[in-house]
Amino acid sequence: MMSGRIGHLPISSENPLGLSWHDSAWIPSLNPSNIMDYFSERSNPFFDRTCNNEVVKMQRLSMDQLQNMTGLEYVLLHVQEPILYVIRKQHRHSINQTIPLADYYIIAGIVYQAPDLASVLNSRLLSAVHHLQNSFEETMSYSKYHPSKGYWWDFKTNKSGPFNMGQSAPKEVPSASKEEPSTLFQRQRVDMLLAELVRQFPLPVAQAANQNGVTVKTENVIDKNSEKPTEGNNINNITIKQEPVDPISSEMTNGNMQGHMEIKTEIKQENMKPPPEKKPRTL
Amino acid sequence: MEEPTGTLRYEKIDFLGEGQFATVYKARDVKSDKIVAVKKIKIGSRMEAEDGINRTALREIKLLQELQHINLIGLLDVFGQKSNVSLVFDFMDTDLEIIVKDSNIVLTPANVKAYMIMTLKGLEYLHQNWILHRDLKPNNLLINREGILKIGDFGLAKAFGSPTRINTHQVVTRWYRSPELLFGAKQYGTGVDMWAVGCILAELLLRVPFLPGETDLDQLSRIFQVFGTPTEETWPGMKSLSDYVQYKHFPAQQLRHIFSAASDDLLQLLDSLLSLYPPRRCDCTQALQMPYFSNKPPPSMGPKLPMPTNLFKMEIEKPSLKRKLLDNIEGGSVAKKLLQF
Repeated sequence: MMSGRIGHLPISSENPLGLSWHDSAWIPSLNPSNIMDYFSERSNPFFDRTCNNEVVKMQRLSMDQLQNMTGLEYVLLHVQEPILYVIRKQHRHSINQTIPLADYYIIAGIVYQAPDLASVLNSRLLSAVHHLQNSFEETMSYSKYHPSKGYWWDFKTNKSGPFNMGQSAPKEVPSASKEEPSTLFQRQRVDMLLAELVRQFPLPVAQAANQNGVTVKTENVIDKNSEKPTEGNNINNITIKQEPVDPISSEMTNGNMQGHMEIKTEIKQENMKPPPEKKPRTL
Repeated sequence: MEEPTGTLRYEKIDFLGEGQFATVYKARDVKSDKIVAVKKIKIGSRMEAEDGINRTALREIKLLQELQHINLIGLLDVFGQKSNVSLVFDFMDTDLEIIVKDSNIVLTPANVKAYMIMTLKGLEYLHQNWILHRDLKPNNLLINREGILKIGDFGLAKAFGSPTRINTHQVVTRWYRSPELLFGAKQYGTGVDMWAVGCILAELLLRVPFLPGETDLDQLSRIFQVFGTPTEETWPGMKSLSDYVQYKHFPAQQLRHIFSAASDDLLQLLDSLLSLYPPRRCDCTQALQMPYFSNKPPPSMGPKLPMPTNLFKMEIEKPSLKRKLLDNIEGGSVAKKLLQF
């Protein structure tokens, strides 16, 4: 999420999109009536204490006065109890004219700045280009040339090339983060959401089974493809195939597409994992 | 045709208020057709009139006649009628105390800066002419409808700078009185006015008196609870002041916690104005040079400054003289304070 908009805010020289803030003493008692007080805590780097809210508060006046002032102010934009609050920072020019400057979301008590579209696009483009570049570089490492034979692909020999090494590092990350235990809240919330989706979109069991079969197959195809470059992947692939959590998806007995999508991505990550594991052995 | 003078020159329009030493009327200057405030000095007791005229009035006449500054109240004329003396001043619509107490008004950082600039400029001129005001408080900072602030009430003002002169420390309304005065200092300088300006600035930010002490001892206690109890290291010579008393040790508080919305440059000014050790306190010229006054936001220009909501309403309603008098008697001190020069 690193975009070029660094240092835009006076609060922090860091990119605010990479920041989060919370005060654990407050978290259990957050509600719509005190969320603005929570946000205006002195240590919150997103809060500019020279804003109109603080001026009115310091002068012990009614918050209704904000409407009549001009300048920087914060308003509570959206509440989804008990978990989500959205606060908007805006510049007020008159009673009915304001220009939004930034949105902040407080989820489970942790405050983040919502990224602007430019930052999101920047970030997505950057990661897309980065991956494209990586794949080109890796592809290049397999191309061989000889004056008499011309160009050809050689996937067998070049296993521990520099590009494999380079790739191994970032791929450790997702597998590592995956191992983090989920919080009780997350588990309950996800279970609740899944149950809700199941209730909303009940699907026949047979169909669901088919779909599961299909996904597994496609995974297998991908596995075969990825096997080509690295022979020793078989062992790893076996573990992955066990991992696709077929039992779970069949237990679910529904065609919950989201569930499938999630599982798929997991599998892909697993598929990418083998090379780094292999590398130490070859070395 | 002869020019009208004395009582003939001023047509009484309205009764404005009554103080300890004087009655104030709103009047029209027939000569210039300007609205003015006429302050009629009461004769007072024989003691007070020892010098032939009330001492505070004499101070005002003596000093103000020689002072000319946009941010000081202008003494336009003095005239006598029988044994009475009347002083004619610029007419001022309101004062800072009324504005601070009006909860319909939000004082923006730009407004606060404008008031501070005008106060400090007037006071700078005063200090440059070796005069201490010695009674700065929000209701002595008068404001007209053009948004010009003028320092008023020179009843306690006095020349300073003579190293041998002993001054009384019983000056300045308690809440705005500096710690050295409270400890009974007899020789003091511009610092007493600077401390008062600091208290007024704090009051503009908080909209309540910053240090509302109930007794002189309580006043010092409140000061030290905020700024920390001084020691002989932080305030050399403190213990030799005549009314010095040992106070319990209080730690200093962070000003940024008290004035939560104040910018850092404003806190710097406050800290400098409200230094316990008088020589550490800045003077007006230094204060006006501080970054706060050159940083954003720019001060609000005159007409953009807020006016009390009831100021113009009062004019429309035009209450009878009698009702106004009654208001005054019933503890309605507002009108009294409004024009008590």
